[in-house]
Amino acid sequence: MVMSNFNLVIASGKGGVGKSMLSATLAHYFAKKYRLVAVDADVDTPNLDLWLGGIKHWDQINKISVSQQAFATNKACPDCQNCADICQFGALTLKNDHLHINPFLCEGCGACQELCPSGTIKMKKVIAGQIKIKNNVSGFPLVSAQLYPGQTGSGKIVDRLKQISHKFNRQLTIIDSPAGTSCPVIAALNDANFALLITEPTPTGFSDLKRVLTVVKFFKIPWALVVNKWDINPRQTQTITTWSKHHFLGQIGYDQNIFKAIADLKPIYKTNLPVKQEIKTIYSKLLKRLPVNFH
Amino acid sequence: MIKNNAVSQIVITGGKGGVGKSTVAILLANQLSTYQKVILVDVDVECPNDYLLLDQTLAKTPNKKIYAKFPVLDKDKCLRCGLCAQKCRFNAIFAPKDKYPIFLHQLCSNCGLCWNLCPAKAIKIKSKITGKIYQNQINTNLYLVTGQTVGIVDETGPLVRQTKKYALDLATKLNVKTVLIDTAPGTHCNVINALLDADHSFAVTEPTPLGAHDLKLILKLNQELKIPTQIILNQSDLGNQKLIQTVAHHFKTDIIHQIPYSKEIVTAYSRGKLNHLTLNGYV
Repeated sequence: MVMSNFNLVIASGKGGVGKSMLSATLAHYFAKKYRLVAVDADVDTPNLDLWLGGIKHWDQINKISVSQQAFATNKACPDCQNCADICQFGALTLKNDHLHINPFLCEGCGACQELCPSGTIKMKKVIAGQIKIKNNVSGFPLVSAQLYPGQTGSGKIVDRLKQISHKFNRQLTIIDSPAGTSCPVIAALNDANFALLITEPTPTGFSDLKRVLTVVKFFKIPWALVVNKWDINPRQTQTITTWSKHHFLGQIGYDQNIFKAIADLKPIYKTNLPVKQEIKTIYSKLLKRLPVNFH
Repeated sequence: MIKNNAVSQIVITGGKGGVGKSTVAILLANQLSTYQKVILVDVDVECPNDYLLLDQTLAKTPNKKIYAKFPVLDKDKCLRCGLCAQKCRFNAIFAPKDKYPIFLHQLCSNCGLCWNLCPAKAIKIKSKITGKIYQNQINTNLYLVTGQTVGIVDETGPLVRQTKKYALDLATKLNVKTVLIDTAPGTHCNVINALLDADHSFAVTEPTPLGAHDLKLILKLNQELKIPTQIILNQSDLGNQKLIQTVAHHFKTDIIHQIPYSKEIVTAYSRGKLNHLTLNGYV
């Protein structure tokens, strides 16, 4: 199988365990030989651009609307309570004929509008955030987004980012997933061809890894595992590597200099830290694991 | 609204993952519990961790099960009109022309539009468990309430609300005046639901451009939600503090507490034993 639009997703469950660092550095190594596009699917708190050295000027910034929200119009409300009863998100309250819609809770499902007998509720398009594209970051394009704080619809924005990235028609799409296991993570993993999971050797890292793995397994995605900061608890690392069996791919040591490098916005691949070589080794091993012919 | 005027809701959040939200929440809870009753509420329902850091296990039987409603088709009644698929705004219903619709429960937001709208009343409601709530007692004064999703759950906001409600009811029962709410990373619906109705919030961050970037987003969100927020800076002696000071200044708030890198905390964290550590000594 010759590869095109192969979706490689980096995920972890737990936040702050090294997803974006790994994604950025792997992208750098893949880009030396393959045509790829990088996607930052952490649309709430996107950081992949920072691990790539920071981007001062994006080539495109476009506002994006992925959903609508309910608004009360001036039309008289019959006080039937249909809308308040049906709303599963607790967004509507009706008191003395006065309808209040909490925009922070409205998910835009439209159920209230459909069931309102008097047309008091209308759905209106809302701007959920913006999509940002940089055509060339260290040899490949980066597709990113920023969900405006207070807006919902992160899963739908991730879907949109993936559609845009596929228009670049690259061999490989590297998708940096957000933390957690719900809508934006499901959207990131949805049609993944391979999931590279990363964790740290702590009870919390291991527990969250197992939780995101339920999503990976649900979609029947082949996966491999990287343990970051392996040396902060070698015994726990041993437990995790034994547990993960043949899925184990490689490990990265704890190094405070990584913290210092990112504080100065210096990408890992521009440093001489051990982590650079460690990720390069992970890259070589990963190439052999991917179920496609890259050549 | 999930509110009880006799109880203060203090939310620990931060935007970025792995900056120490849970650690700070636990250290703060431990400290408060030396002189008053406290409930710590873990509403990172996708990846709850506080119980692991307090050397606890979750009981086989939860204290409460949370259900959500999902659509199932009654083929005998279905007219194959496609209206449900056309109206679903979450792409959770797939209906090829003239065929029976297929419900994709992993994308379903449980909004109820389809079964309310179906002209043939062919969509039945099936309650499926989407979450569990657990209660642990850590010491005489400290209780932990944990919300956790079950299976693949797209929409986690409702479970966050249910977990908070459970904790507030418990607070009333036990005469507890303070609940500490530990959120997930990010800024979307699970975090918004944790923040709504809060009296005060602490944003935990780290002195890197990543921490600063995500801190701005959470401060912006709290501004819109009108929740007073102060910053707690973790690993304060690594990286570049100025980045965080600039953000604090811009949002007219302050860094009320700094936690330098601490081998003691890291070791206790990696062993899941933060029980006896407090913020004391770092003030």
